[in-house]
Amino acid sequence: MAQILDIITTAAILYVVCAGLLIVFGVMKIINFAHGGFLTVGGYSALLVTKMGWHPWWGIPVSFAIGCVCGMVIERLVVRPLYARPLDAILATWGLGIIIGQLITLGFGREVQFVQSPVRGAIDFAGASYSQYRLILVGAAIVLGLALSAALNGTRLGLQTRAVIMNENLARGLGINSGLVRFITFTLGAGLASLAGALITPLSSVDPNLGVPWLVGAFMLVMVSGMSLVSLAIACLVLGGAQVLVSTYGNPVLGGLTIVVLAALLLRLRPQGFARE
Amino acid sequence: MKAIPVARLASTLGALCAGALMLSTVAQGADPIKIGIPVGLSGANSVVAPSVVQSAELAVEEINAKGGILGRKVVLEVADDGSGAAGAQKAFDSLLFQKKVDAIITMETSAARNAGLPIVTRAKKPFIYTSFYEGRSCNKYLYVNAWVPDQQVAPVVDYFMKKYNSKTYFLIGSDYAYGRGMLAFTRKYAESKGGKILGEEYLPMDGTDWTAIISKLKAAKPDALITSTAGGAPNVTLTKQLRAAGVNIPYGNLAVDEGTAKSMGADADGIYISGSYLTNIDSAKNKEFMAAMQKKFGADLKTPNDLSVPQYEGVYAYKAAVEKAGSTDTDKVIKALGEVAVEGPRGKIQMNKQRHAPLTIYLGQVQKDGNVKLLETFKDVDPGEQCPNIK
Amino acid sequence: MNDAPAAAAAVGVNAVTPRPRSDARLVLGLAAAALVLVAIGPYLLPDFLINNLIRGFLYAAVALTVDILWGYTGILTFGQSAFFGIGAYAAGLSFTHLGFGLGIAAFALVGGIAVAALVALVIGWLAFYHGASPLYASVITLVLPIIVAQILYSGGTFTGSSSGLSGFESFDLSLQIWFWIAGVFLVVLTSAAWLFVRSDAGRVLIAIRENEPRCEYLGINVSRLKIVLMVVCAIVAAVAGYAFACVQMVIAPEYAGFVFGTELVIWVALGGRGTLIGPVIGTLLIDTSTAYLSGSLPFIWKLVVGLAFVIVIVALPRGFAPLIGRVFRPRRAEADARGEVPMLRASAKPARTDRESAQTRALDLNAVTKHFGSLRVLDGIELQADHGELLSLVGPNGAGKTTLIRCVSDGGERSSGSVRVNGHDIERRAPYQCVAYGVGRKFQNANTFDALSVAQSLRIARSRLQRPSLWSRAATLALPEGALKVMQATGLDRMLGVEVRHLAHGQKQALELAMVLAMEPSVVLLDEPTAGLTRPERQLIGSVLVELTQQQRLCIVLVEHDLDFVREISSRVVVLHQGRIVLDGTVAQVVESELVRTIYSGGSAMSGAHA
Repeated sequence: MAQILDIITTAAILYVVCAGLLIVFGVMKIINFAHGGFLTVGGYSALLVTKMGWHPWWGIPVSFAIGCVCGMVIERLVVRPLYARPLDAILATWGLGIIIGQLITLGFGREVQFVQSPVRGAIDFAGASYSQYRLILVGAAIVLGLALSAALNGTRLGLQTRAVIMNENLARGLGINSGLVRFITFTLGAGLASLAGALITPLSSVDPNLGVPWLVGAFMLVMVSGMSLVSLAIACLVLGGAQVLVSTYGNPVLGGLTIVVLAALLLRLRPQGFARE
Repeated sequence: MKAIPVARLASTLGALCAGALMLSTVAQGADPIKIGIPVGLSGANSVVAPSVVQSAELAVEEINAKGGILGRKVVLEVADDGSGAAGAQKAFDSLLFQKKVDAIITMETSAARNAGLPIVTRAKKPFIYTSFYEGRSCNKYLYVNAWVPDQQVAPVVDYFMKKYNSKTYFLIGSDYAYGRGMLAFTRKYAESKGGKILGEEYLPMDGTDWTAIISKLKAAKPDALITSTAGGAPNVTLTKQLRAAGVNIPYGNLAVDEGTAKSMGADADGIYISGSYLTNIDSAKNKEFMAAMQKKFGADLKTPNDLSVPQYEGVYAYKAAVEKAGSTDTDKVIKALGEVAVEGPRGKIQMNKQRHAPLTIYLGQVQKDGNVKLLETFKDVDPGEQCPNIK
Repeated sequence: MNDAPAAAAAVGVNAVTPRPRSDARLVLGLAAAALVLVAIGPYLLPDFLINNLIRGFLYAAVALTVDILWGYTGILTFGQSAFFGIGAYAAGLSFTHLGFGLGIAAFALVGGIAVAALVALVIGWLAFYHGASPLYASVITLVLPIIVAQILYSGGTFTGSSSGLSGFESFDLSLQIWFWIAGVFLVVLTSAAWLFVRSDAGRVLIAIRENEPRCEYLGINVSRLKIVLMVVCAIVAAVAGYAFACVQMVIAPEYAGFVFGTELVIWVALGGRGTLIGPVIGTLLIDTSTAYLSGSLPFIWKLVVGLAFVIVIVALPRGFAPLIGRVFRPRRAEADARGEVPMLRASAKPARTDRESAQTRALDLNAVTKHFGSLRVLDGIELQADHGELLSLVGPNGAGKTTLIRCVSDGGERSSGSVRVNGHDIERRAPYQCVAYGVGRKFQNANTFDALSVAQSLRIARSRLQRPSLWSRAATLALPEGALKVMQATGLDRMLGVEVRHLAHGQKQALELAMVLAMEPSVVLLDEPTAGLTRPERQLIGSVLVELTQQQRLCIVLVEHDLDFVREISSRVVVLHQGRIVLDGTVAQVVESELVRTIYSGGSAMSGAHA
């Protein structure tokens, strides 16, 4: 039982962490290397909330807002000029990751910070005692997935975004302002990353490198997911599950490499990954 | 005389050579004794590095106020080693060959120390290493005044056995030399005392997801838990996730220091820590030291800790050795370093056991407010067999 | 077969063949100057700088491989540090566990090279399969150092884990001698790389960076080339790492790690990618200045580097070096344009085409179907064509013409059915393999190499038939008659030195056609080859095509909207509609067909010459 919970909660955490990266990848066809930096921004947003003495749940809207603002600025200044050069966009966002990390270090110091956690300890769930916060994250992942799907399927902008994901040239030909779609996507992606950063603080440390360990695993998950939120969920469950199983029955060091290695092989043998076609 | 044609030639060789030459022709200071501190101002050690530099600064100030060493003034040269091997090579090169320091006294990562050792060997200068580490680093020029696993682990295990009658243990660490070294020794020691190890698990150094390991721990149901992670983030994530998972067995953390414990807040409550220094050691020397630090640095003071205090004592050990040797001559100083004893905040320390020092180890427990309560003191714990091949 | 000797004779027996050109003299001069600097360096420089520069030289050697892979070939790699680490650990582990000796040192070097090459092969297999995205390749190179470092961490006392290993014995050489060794290594390597990238073979790298699909369709096995390049670069990095461990007598996982891998990319980016010298100087300057500056401003320094990096990527994609080098640039560019134009000549005509054409059918498509999901773009196409036919494919937009061309030139395209080219079943083979069977494809829109000159582009099209030199530039460019005629008809033969980006659209079209013909294909697929050309040019091209069909027995499949053009030159017309062949006959039959008229009037407009 505990193992099933481990798999589900691990997948949920990965899903939360990857969602922002996925939509940026889907629309802009670039891997946003600053994603780790945005996660860190979210962690420190939660720290600000703690320092202000607000209730920890405030961390969610605050981190989202701060992330969005960062995303807007960066999209305008750095990402937009590189639309035609995707590999350079990767490098530039990676440089941004360095800058974000250093700015946070200069502002908050290099040390590990303490952030108030909204809930603590374990509860009895289905006969086992299990981390309460991890269970909450499963709910958060589901809400996030549903909200994103609703936004993509139920709104005009979502429709336009899906059009851009499928075929940007055609979408532009149909009069869709793909520049605006990209702008909003990057903003939203940064906001979601920051939100994820705040959501994982109760389980992680808050330091200038908070986002880094998540980065490569998130890249791989997004790449095997193609561009769909559903296949991302499948990828998180399958690969996250594999990680838990390898860590449990094999060794956690190998477990840490499971996602990247399996994803790399999967992409080699089935380039579309978990996407249908 | 020779410098003029050389400089003229250099000017034609481009900025690189010219710049270098300028630096090399900067006049050497007349007579001070220079102590080099390559330390992790950036990177993983940057949290603790400022406190290390501060305590060295205090030591030098005190020494200079009392006339220096053999009448010579002491100056510090600090260089950033980036907390890693590549940075350490630059830092050691620059300190030993550019700044021409007389000795290296510092706390560093093991990778940085290893990277520096060949350079120290080439420069033939004494090197006092002031960081606890995984042990068994041996070099003709190297002395260590901080603890090794043999010294730190025993008090924790002994205490758990006595207080909680803990028979079964679970060990968790980061996958790196120190983490593995500590836990390997812990296993050996606990088993020799009749304990049983139910599991020994590692996560990569930058790993943040301890889920599977914690599930294994919960399934194994041990009496006590001992962890040895990399400092900072891994330690904090592990502790947070342990607490979130409701793990409440006796928990000895071999990597936490007072400062980190404080920043972890309520999650650190009840953790056992052991080391050779705690800020509230009740000795005249320590109180004097704390007061002097407070006076010198005021609001900027970084809390002294188990890494910065050995640094302070290391400078004094070097002073004593030079005075005993009567010069800064490397061979004489190396010989003297093993013979002199220094009375510091941690007590009387002499690096006379195969280049390492017997130390008094303190066992403490983190309280709700983040302060550490001293539980027990273990006098002069021996470092064990560290460098049997070095006289 | 009969004209082969004649064509060979036309090359000119008495014509003096100019000698191939290379930058050997220039490179030798620069290298000699650099070697002098290296030679006197130890006497002028202070000790600590000597040691810094030894490391800098070795780092720069690795940065050079990053520049070759990324700057020239477009493979953004974060993984060269892993190979450096492999070389370093080969030395460190051998010396620590086996002791030091010349035999062991040799064993370690060979072992390090072998492991690095093997790992590079695996990475190449993973990252450079046909159709892999460059993003995927980059991420694979990102994963590599992470895995290698993790293996080193897990190695316990054997690898020294996080602490690395130090204090092992190594070559007993003074720093001065190591300075010379590392310096000479770097100078030789840079010179060789310089000769290579400016050679005819080196241009292929740029062609891959500029337009990888076009390279594939020119018969270049891009995947294999990238893998070979990866292996060579891995070996160079491993040798640098080996030397590093020998001189520094320390190894640590960070030398194999991801951070070092990304630092290399920063150095190359700041120095100026695709310039070789830029990355070398960038590495030396940044690495040395880090030694000075990081001590005084550890965090700010990293922030400054990060900022500079982002600014360079966004605003100065060629780095700082070209800014400094601009002073020398105009003269060089001019020399390139004037001095570097090869002499055109006709190539000997191979006998192969004729023999094939005599015996086998040029094209044989059986039940070829292509669908995207439930949408059928091609539905059971049965089509045969012989050598000597000029077959035009017509049909309204969306009829599946281009898709059909794609299915013939790339085995991976069709959903089902079979395609035989000159008797060879193309199965699921990649485009370059189809080229080997005789296929030549011209794309719908001009598909060329913007950064190369006309002559260089043609040379790349010839590279399958004439192996380009690795260190020099041939002084002549041999082209088959058809290609030459296209060049002459459009005036491209007088623009050999012009960079393709400066050509007009029609000229690019003609160039691509010439490139396709330069491959000496026997089955030529032309997707609107004359769009953008003037009417006289178009007529000339048309007559060239007719001549190729009739005299050299090529099989040409032409997709055209210009029905007049089709009418003038085709020997047969196939009408496609909604993925099926609705008519297959002579020009006259098609023109008179009621069906075709209905399709065109009902489908998209086809009035006038163009659709």
